[in-house]
Amino acid sequence: MALVKNIEVEWIDYDVVVVGSGGAGAHAARAAAEAGVRVLVVSKDPIGASDTKISEGIATVRDSAGDSDKESTLSENVKMAGGDLPIQKITDAFAQDSVSAYDHYREEGLRPKIAESGDRPQPLPLPLGGHTRRRSVGHENCGVAFGHANWNMIVNGGFNGSIEYMEDAWFLDLAHSRLESGEIAAIGRVHGGLIYHAARGCLIAVRAPAVVIAAGGLSTLYFPKTDTMRGNTGDSYAVAARAGAELVDMEQIQFLPFCLTSPPSYEGLLAGEPVTASFLGVLRDKFGKIILDGVYLRTRAECSSAIMRAVEEGRGSKNGGAYLDMTANMRAPLSGPYFKQFLKTCLPSAFANARQALSKSAARCEEPWEVRPGAHYQMGGIRVDCDGASVGGDGDGFRSQGIQGLFAAGQAMGGLFGANRLGSTSLTEGAVFGRRAGRAAAAWAHSAKRLEVDNVFAPIICQHQSRFGQSGKFVAAVLRTELQELSWLKIGPVKSQRRLDEMDKKLDEWTQKLNDIAIPAVTTWNQAFLNFEELRNMLETAKAISTASRERDGSVGGHVRLDGKNISAFAQPYSTLVHYTANGKWRVRREKRTRAPLKRLIFYKIQEKKRLMEARILRALPAGMRDRNLMRRYQAIMGSRGAPEVSPGSDEAAVGEVFRS
Amino acid sequence: MREGDKSTLQIKLIINRDGKTESKIFHYCKRTPDERPMALDVLLQAQATTEPDLAFRYGCRARNCGVCTIDINDKPRIACRARVRDGDTLSPMATLPVLADLVVRRDGIARQLKGRLRSGGHGNELNVEAPDTYHDLTACIECYACLDKCPLHARNFDGGLPGEMSGPLPDAAQGYKWGNPFSFLKLERTRLDPLTTAVGRETAVDHAVHLGLDACVTCPGCKCGVGIDLKRQVIKPLLKAAHGKIELRSEGDE
Ligand SMILES: Cc1cc2nc3c(=O)[nH]c(=O)nc-3n(C[C@H](O)[C@H](O)[C@H](O)COP(=O)(O)OP(=O)(O)OC[C@H]3O[C@@H](n4cnc5c(N)ncnc54)[C@H](O)[C@@H]3O)c2cc1C
Ligand code: SF4
Ligand code: SF4
Ligand code: FES
Repeated sequence: MALVKNIEVEWIDYDVVVVGSGGAGAHAARAAAEAGVRVLVVSKDPIGASDTKISEGIATVRDSAGDSDKESTLSENVKMAGGDLPIQKITDAFAQDSVSAYDHYREEGLRPKIAESGDRPQPLPLPLGGHTRRRSVGHENCGVAFGHANWNMIVNGGFNGSIEYMEDAWFLDLAHSRLESGEIAAIGRVHGGLIYHAARGCLIAVRAPAVVIAAGGLSTLYFPKTDTMRGNTGDSYAVAARAGAELVDMEQIQFLPFCLTSPPSYEGLLAGEPVTASFLGVLRDKFGKIILDGVYLRTRAECSSAIMRAVEEGRGSKNGGAYLDMTANMRAPLSGPYFKQFLKTCLPSAFANARQALSKSAARCEEPWEVRPGAHYQMGGIRVDCDGASVGGDGDGFRSQGIQGLFAAGQAMGGLFGANRLGSTSLTEGAVFGRRAGRAAAAWAHSAKRLEVDNVFAPIICQHQSRFGQSGKFVAAVLRTELQELSWLKIGPVKSQRRLDEMDKKLDEWTQKLNDIAIPAVTTWNQAFLNFEELRNMLETAKAISTASRERDGSVGGHVRLDGKNISAFAQPYSTLVHYTANGKWRVRREKRTRAPLKRLIFYKIQEKKRLMEARILRALPAGMRDRNLMRRYQAIMGSRGAPEVSPGSDEAAVGEVFRS
Repeated sequence: MREGDKSTLQIKLIINRDGKTESKIFHYCKRTPDERPMALDVLLQAQATTEPDLAFRYGCRARNCGVCTIDINDKPRIACRARVRDGDTLSPMATLPVLADLVVRRDGIARQLKGRLRSGGHGNELNVEAPDTYHDLTACIECYACLDKCPLHARNFDGGLPGEMSGPLPDAAQGYKWGNPFSFLKLERTRLDPLTTAVGRETAVDHAVHLGLDACVTCPGCKCGVGIDLKRQVIKPLLKAAHGKIELRSEGDE
């Protein structure tokens, strides 16, 4: 292939490159800088504009509600909720660091409410999203407060000015050498990577012994049925896989059950969580029949799968979802007003979405909400150890058999949550593993021998340069829309063998078309090139999902197989591992995981059943008695301090938005 | 709802291709008869149909990430939460240099704060609550709507807009020399943080002065895209704290 030189290449050198400026990226950069190395943060979105910034801002802080919350309690909670797919060393690391990682956020300006004891942040009144303890801490302005902290961390440049950053800069590929190739997962080494700086209009080859991938998830594959940022195009996974890294549990995608279906501008946005439904909320199909009760005690996966199964059976709502009916909460004369307050304050930004999108009476919960699952979070990801270093080989894996110099943190990594993620754990995950990966990357950069590496850049530079000015008859943006529609149907919240076959067939077709996509030769902000690159990453990520989904032929957690049985919690748990071979094929295998001790498992299951029974008994009580009982419960959880104020800046004063009737 | 009898909206897009400004008419097809679309819906539909390579920024679709700001009829709006009407004109934010179509270069703003935001506090010191005013400022989503009509920001572009400059644009990669409401908000937020030391608070004021706080003395004041009261909560307190550090022609009335 003749080398087309439509775009210039600049060369730079760093010790550690961090891809992404969300929570994981910011914390990785800071930790690496503290360890005394030179860090470059590369971000395709403006610094800090990430899922972290748009989150509800609820973070898991162990022990925030008292000293009974042992590290082992939290670690076990995460592992068992994840169907025993999580790796114990990784869940232990999460539990160990969850307090200190949160403090690092506070050092950058995150300011929670403080408990009356004066020595810890004030947790929310209820254990949320599957937690066995109260440990979720909420924040004013939700994720935006985290966004400011991350922004400060990066833009300010670290304590000694050793963090540099670029925004509008797409990390395209790792420069790597494969030490072993063929059908097995690669053993290799990273030497840096190639960046497209869209604002400056050039390619940048960065030589660096260590790269931390913190580029977020893949939910844009399901757009508009997602509540996440546009940039979640699977770049983390595709970039790592192309360098030979293994991906773990890629079939485990978390769909939030209660996202909006209409109006179109709100489609996919978060309306509430299982806990929003409160004591009396139920899910109904279009005939009004209850398809799930005790909603507030259920996992996201249980709710999502109940809705999608109803849709499959033709009992879905108008826009392919179901009805979340919370009217019983509202109708109760004594406890109703408490519920109203609870609804407003428990998830402020989600409630704001619902209030704006739904009718007035729906927002008051006088009628049910139409809801549908939406893609939210990839629980699988790049296979790493408890310090975010890429690993390969058997069992929990070995660094020596992974891609040396490659690290991952945040949503990009796998192995922490397995089949189901507890609520509010992801912001903590970003800080915990961002820091761990940043430190480990700095240590590796200190010790790694610098090699003469420019030749390993040659193929990726040549490949990307020739895209500028590629002629062709297809348009990336159009193929992307087709891919998104099909992904929802075939590798979305419900799957089957037939659907996976259909998906793979189309994926092959689209992949064939990649070389036939028109891209002009413009160098500054070449949108067609960006669309192309993101499409390429989405296609590869979709293939990783379908390959892993095939291997797991029963349902567990976020993975629902209509044609398979539910995998029992008592069966031998296993993870799926997929990788992309040097010959351009995807391969999959299973890796056994250790099951929790039988006694714990049974205890856990009994607790679960007991709570559900209690919820049913409560619903069956005579109305008056139930109402008084509920009022007492709300009073107990909402406390004497009352509910916090939520919205700063008033709508009327906002000149950036115009709501004209 | 009564507007719903028309099934399309005619929207004018002023975009920038290869350094040339073009104007295009796009007919937005309503997806439901009573749809009242946001500006972002128009851009997404244009990209999905007649303008596949249309460049624009967006992220969350929910007024949280702050990146989707464009001008609607020459005023900065958050595209994902600004409804459009038949005949509206969408163009890139005029206060920053255009990169392509509706995308502007933002990083000259953030970069001017490099090394200027001090953080502090360790251990049990962190268990302190911030005042409400601190949280009011944290509501800033960095949408840059407040650059509109800011005479100080305009100093970076010879007192006008980047598009009107005759000479070369200032280098965004170095950070713009002159400040803006957002940068002042970040500095004031540092001052309000209970963990900022007295020295840190003083330094924040010095930075504000260095970035041109003097321009605010005579300025009628800035407007925020999400409704933060910038004049009262950012500019006035900074001016007050900078008393003696800049030449004040008239004082704030506090
Ligand atoms: C609406 C919503 C609410 C949520 N609420 C909560 C909550 O309350 N609590 C909780 O714990 N979790 C919550 N989550 C989940 C949580 O926010 C995310 O999982 C987490 O923030 C991910 O952090 P991250 O650093 O891994 O990735 P992100 O924060 O998504 O950052 C990814 C970064 O990578 C960059 N990037 C991507 N690709 C490239 C590339 N090729 N080159 C360069 N840069 C690239 C992006 O620009 C971005 O800066 C929520 C998520 C959403 C969407
Ligand atoms: S008060 Fe100052 S920052 Fe605000 S618009 Fe005027 S000059 Fe700009
Ligand atoms: S101060 Fe207001 S207008 Fe300015 S960037 Fe922040 S949110 Fe936007
Ligand atoms: S898309 Fe995030 S604020 Fe508009």
